[in-house]
Amino acid sequence: MNEYSVLNSRLPRIDAPLKATGLAKYADDLKFPGMLYATILQSPVAHARILNIDTSRAKKLKGVKAVITSKETGLIKYGVSPARYDETLFAHDKVRYVGDEIAAVAAVDQATALEALSLIKVDYQELPAVFDMFEAMKEGAPQIHDDYPGNLNAEVHQEFGDTEAALAECDLVINHTFLNKRQDAAFLEPHSCVAIYDLDGRLTLHTSTQVPHYVMRTVAMVLQIPVGNVRVVKPYVGGGFGPKCEATPLELSCAFLSRFTGKPVKMTYSREQVFLHSRARHQFFAEMSLGVRKDGTMVALKNKAILDGGAYTSFGIATVYYAGSLLGGPYKLKSMKYDGYRAYTNKPACGAQRGHGGVAHRAAFEQLIDRTAGELGIDPIELRLKNIMTAGDMTVNELDMSSLGMKECIEAVKEHSGWQNKKGKLRRGKGIGMACGFFVSGAGYPIYRSDTYHSTVVIKLSEDGGTAIVQTGSAEIGQGSDTTMAMIAAETLGISIDNVKVVSGDTDLSVDLGAYSSRQTLMTGHATREAAEQIRGILKRYLAQEMGCTEESICFSNGIVKFDGQPGNYDKLRSHYIKEHRGWTDQPSGEYLTFKEVARMTYLKDGTLVGTGKYKPPRLGGSYKGAAVGTSPAYGCSAQVVEVDVDLQTGEITIENMTDAHDCGLAINKTSVEGQMQGSLSMGLGECLFEEVKFDSRGRIVNPSLGEYRIPTALDMPNVKSIIVESHEPNGPYGAKEVGEGAIMPTIPAILNAIYDATGVRMNELPVTSERLFLALKKQEIA
Amino acid sequence: MKKIIKLTINGESVEAAVEPNRTLLQFLREDLGLTGTKHGCGLGDCGACTVIMEGRAVNSCLILAIQAHGKEIITIEGLAEGGRLHPIQQAFVDKGAIQCGFCTPGMILSAKALLDRNPKPTEMEIRTAISGNLCRCTGYQKIVEAIESASETIGSEEVS
Amino acid sequence: MLLPKFDYHEPRTLEEVLLLLSELGGNAKLLAGGTDLLVRMKLNVDRPSHVISLEKVPGLNEIIPQDRHGVTIGSTTTAANLAESELIIDRFAPLAIASSRLGAPMIRNRATIGGNLVNARPAADLSPACMVLSANLKIKSLNKDREVLVNDFFVGPGQTILDPNELLVSLKIETPPPWTGGSYLKLGARKALEISMVNVACLLTLQSADGPIVDVRIALGAVAPTPVRAFAAEEFLIGQKPSESLFKEAGSIGVGMCSPITDHRGTMEYRCMMIESLTHRALQQAYHRALEWKL
Ligand SMILES: Cc1cc2nc3c(=O)[nH]c(=O)nc-3n(C[C@H](O)[C@H](O)[C@H](O)COP(=O)(O)OP(=O)(O)OC[C@H]3O[C@@H](n4cnc5c(N)ncnc54)[C@H](O)[C@@H]3O)c2cc1C
Ligand code: FES
Ligand code: FES
Repeated sequence: MNEYSVLNSRLPRIDAPLKATGLAKYADDLKFPGMLYATILQSPVAHARILNIDTSRAKKLKGVKAVITSKETGLIKYGVSPARYDETLFAHDKVRYVGDEIAAVAAVDQATALEALSLIKVDYQELPAVFDMFEAMKEGAPQIHDDYPGNLNAEVHQEFGDTEAALAECDLVINHTFLNKRQDAAFLEPHSCVAIYDLDGRLTLHTSTQVPHYVMRTVAMVLQIPVGNVRVVKPYVGGGFGPKCEATPLELSCAFLSRFTGKPVKMTYSREQVFLHSRARHQFFAEMSLGVRKDGTMVALKNKAILDGGAYTSFGIATVYYAGSLLGGPYKLKSMKYDGYRAYTNKPACGAQRGHGGVAHRAAFEQLIDRTAGELGIDPIELRLKNIMTAGDMTVNELDMSSLGMKECIEAVKEHSGWQNKKGKLRRGKGIGMACGFFVSGAGYPIYRSDTYHSTVVIKLSEDGGTAIVQTGSAEIGQGSDTTMAMIAAETLGISIDNVKVVSGDTDLSVDLGAYSSRQTLMTGHATREAAEQIRGILKRYLAQEMGCTEESICFSNGIVKFDGQPGNYDKLRSHYIKEHRGWTDQPSGEYLTFKEVARMTYLKDGTLVGTGKYKPPRLGGSYKGAAVGTSPAYGCSAQVVEVDVDLQTGEITIENMTDAHDCGLAINKTSVEGQMQGSLSMGLGECLFEEVKFDSRGRIVNPSLGEYRIPTALDMPNVKSIIVESHEPNGPYGAKEVGEGAIMPTIPAILNAIYDATGVRMNELPVTSERLFLALKKQEIA
Repeated sequence: MKKIIKLTINGESVEAAVEPNRTLLQFLREDLGLTGTKHGCGLGDCGACTVIMEGRAVNSCLILAIQAHGKEIITIEGLAEGGRLHPIQQAFVDKGAIQCGFCTPGMILSAKALLDRNPKPTEMEIRTAISGNLCRCTGYQKIVEAIESASETIGSEEVS
Repeated sequence: MLLPKFDYHEPRTLEEVLLLLSELGGNAKLLAGGTDLLVRMKLNVDRPSHVISLEKVPGLNEIIPQDRHGVTIGSTTTAANLAESELIIDRFAPLAIASSRLGAPMIRNRATIGGNLVNARPAADLSPACMVLSANLKIKSLNKDREVLVNDFFVGPGQTILDPNELLVSLKIETPPPWTGGSYLKLGARKALEISMVNVACLLTLQSADGPIVDVRIALGAVAPTPVRAFAAEEFLIGQKPSESLFKEAGSIGVGMCSPITDHRGTMEYRCMMIESLTHRALQQAYHRALEWKL
């Protein structure tokens, strides 16, 4: 039985009707009077010195309103982490990848703006370039940033326990390597924004972003205007998955162009520009050793990562830390050692993407566990269960598993997939595999160092008492956060979700760090709950006084008020309400006093009713260098079983069945949880089998389109048996935690383990195209 | 040089002057303000721009506005009637088939084009019908369920 | 992604088309479904100053049965119509299957057979199917009519024997004899929206249900600058009694005809191996369909 009246249900999303009718507005749907259209000039070469930029002919073109380069915009450095601000809006001395931004144009229409771009003349002196991360780190490689010798953008060294000693004592140590490829988030909506710079010096930026707050901060810094003068408003967003987690040259150029022209300025990236901007999943090379005892007890893990970062840092510092820290669980280890390196190369910068930093190394680790199980003759599920963490466990790197339904997830997928009858019993070509994973439920610390709240929320009641308006800077990007907040507010206030309205994604409304690291359900959820509780408190205080009862005796639920479970004697209040409400058609008549009546009466006494809530995590994690990355108030986890069919004559792989169990704490909205699970799995499937951004020998992307960069179609993705496992998370609002990213963790290794089961071939390079698998099968045949 | 085109959009006749190089997608979004039709790639690769022309789902980014002269077109704005969602839209809402919503208009129109010709499709037929509409958010499962459910609703409405 | 500027023509008769072509020639492009042309124009690969739409030309998009002997397919017939046509499904299976595998539904609703052939992509889906069906192409210009076997149509990637002033009007295909079965296989990464890495069409005719192979045609796509017939494999098969091992051997002979390239979709080596696997499989399928042949 559901103890809640709103939560833990399958309510339809509150934004669904708008989206189903095409009325929901996305950035590119916005139009303002006098609006100009902008475009960006991007470098056609991968590495070159800029000798001269001549914009004079472009400026003279009819219809062009402004042309800007670094001369006009200055050279303020920005980026994601203040520790590595290495970008300027426009390149001035050097371009570092094909796509590096050089200038921007605003004109009366897009065709004119594009024509103007072709009139800008840039003289380049080409420099030797480096595109491969291993080459980039070699002596004598072309230098991309003067401040980073050896193109070493970041390195991490962490050790917990004495790993070498522990490995030496193990009965079995297996080494494994793994290589994924650069990926693209391939959200359906290309970046787009409209900047409107008022004559009074205030900027409003309507933009397709996951993080209005950080965009506001970065834009204010680069434009050198007060943060309070920048308002970032996020319309509906057509997917983000990570790369929309930082301020873009698109946003910054529009802001400048609007300031220079005094007009609204819009820019939308072409699909090719989305690929050029990138900021998506890095390429990782993983080198790993796992040591175990004969009985399967895991002892020590040694992990090394090399990341191809592209030309700038973006989220990269966090990424390189995550590749280590996210292997601390969900298995008990005695010691762990991690060495990570992120290299600069002359390619678009990589950043955060769903399962940030963890996906490739999780894939390697989970393959390694299967190999170990094979070597020891233990069922892979049994080996995992033997080492599994449970709630209350702390990883070697001091991540606190305050709740963890990992064991329940494994048992669920084992049962629902029919593992017992399939594992080891399928004919050649058919295979079954499994894997696990976990992920943070919100980063423990903001991206810039600060004691800021991570989320604040304001809830205001409408003057008639009938509607609660939740105001938040959080970002609905498709994951359903508006609905989640509406449900939490409705549950807490004791009203129907129909009486809650959510206004979100606007930096003028509240502080919220945004939609990344799977944080909003937990963090914005806490703040929403607190704001609603505050309002509930005000109403209770008023009622207690009016009714002469205790606050504890009052209960709001389903829009009505009970006193010790009874209607109570509220005649005086109701007649007062009816009198004050005369002439209106919706007089209350039911057996119970309504929330609306109370809210109206309280308003009459106190004025507009507002509740505020706030959240920041407590101090988390250890004290070693980099201990912050990977910390979170809570961790979601999941287990998956995948069944594959391999065509042995062609190497083609069909994913036949997927069984997925995810522990998201209390599932606020079960339909949304399943949606996140299924979406994660399809992204994982694509990354495993098809997806790779490819470059030619001069650093140009060969496949910058959704035709040639292949994400799964409806015919490639099977139905998923989705099982929601609900542990109680003490640090989550109503016990809730993440599902949006953790769910992708096991997908790739589960597929790879299934391919091994089907063929006996260990694939340790992505994507597993039919060609790659077929050639591996041939090799196996010969051997 | 601009040319005059006349066409029917969502049951209403529309007359406009368009440049030959204007796509139907641009015409709908920019000239008519029908922004429910989305632009995801411009090359036929994603299906976000799907509309129904003469009963068939097509990519409006690969059709000239001028080619739509004399044609009947349905966009996402034309489905809900009398303040009520079309059964396919309702099913998308109820089944959780919508996340970011950017693929949704195209998906719904591909589904409509399918159900108009084949009211009782199999799961495979549904998946094939939406195979040119990419969705990065949902993994397609709930979309397929929604179309199955809409097919039942429409079937039972027609019987009653 | 904007289209460059051009003048648009919408002729109402075949003669008008031919007249326009003779006047504008190289400066004009015919527009059928637009799924190739408009993409190429957006990507700045094609920049015609005139675009001539074929849409209003009567009769160009029809599938006309020729009293049991065959069929005439107008050049602007769409892939969707081909995939759905009972006649094409029953008697010209490779073309129906290939049409059903082209792109995705919205593309198929626009893409035409004429556009697919004239575009002459080595990986095109409909070319190999037309080749095993020995389609005869009817080509017209203002002062010349000619018929060309589809085998002689392709010259290289993107190149055909068409002159700029010529129009592909229709395809004529004879109905294959009794005990014929056809197949079409396409290898690509995804199950939809996919350009073939290798594709194979087969048409196989038996003397009778348990007789030897009397005729066979195999065509391969994406394995050479143009789609090619695997003549050596065909010769090897004719007169033989169908068997698993026979088809397998034919597959390896098929590779001999090909000179695939390495590109970002796949390497030459893999393509060669796939020609073998797919030819083998396509022959098997065609054989099984031949056995199911009915009047
Ligand atoms: C997303 C997408 C997916 C695709 N997938 C596939 C696929 O899987 N397989 C495949 O084979 N193709 C695929 N294509 C390519 C394309 O759809 C096909 O080649 C299609 O058949 C082209 O036909 P069309 O009518 O659209 O040609 P158009 O674009 O109209 O014309 C193509 C060329 O042929 C010329 N032309 C057209 N008709 C005639 C005629 N009658 N006489 C003389 N010249 C003529 C035109 O001038 C132009 O140069 C895909 C395209 C897209 C956009
Ligand atoms: S915008 Fe038309 S298919 Fe992508
Ligand atoms: S719901 Fe986001 S792309 Fe489909």
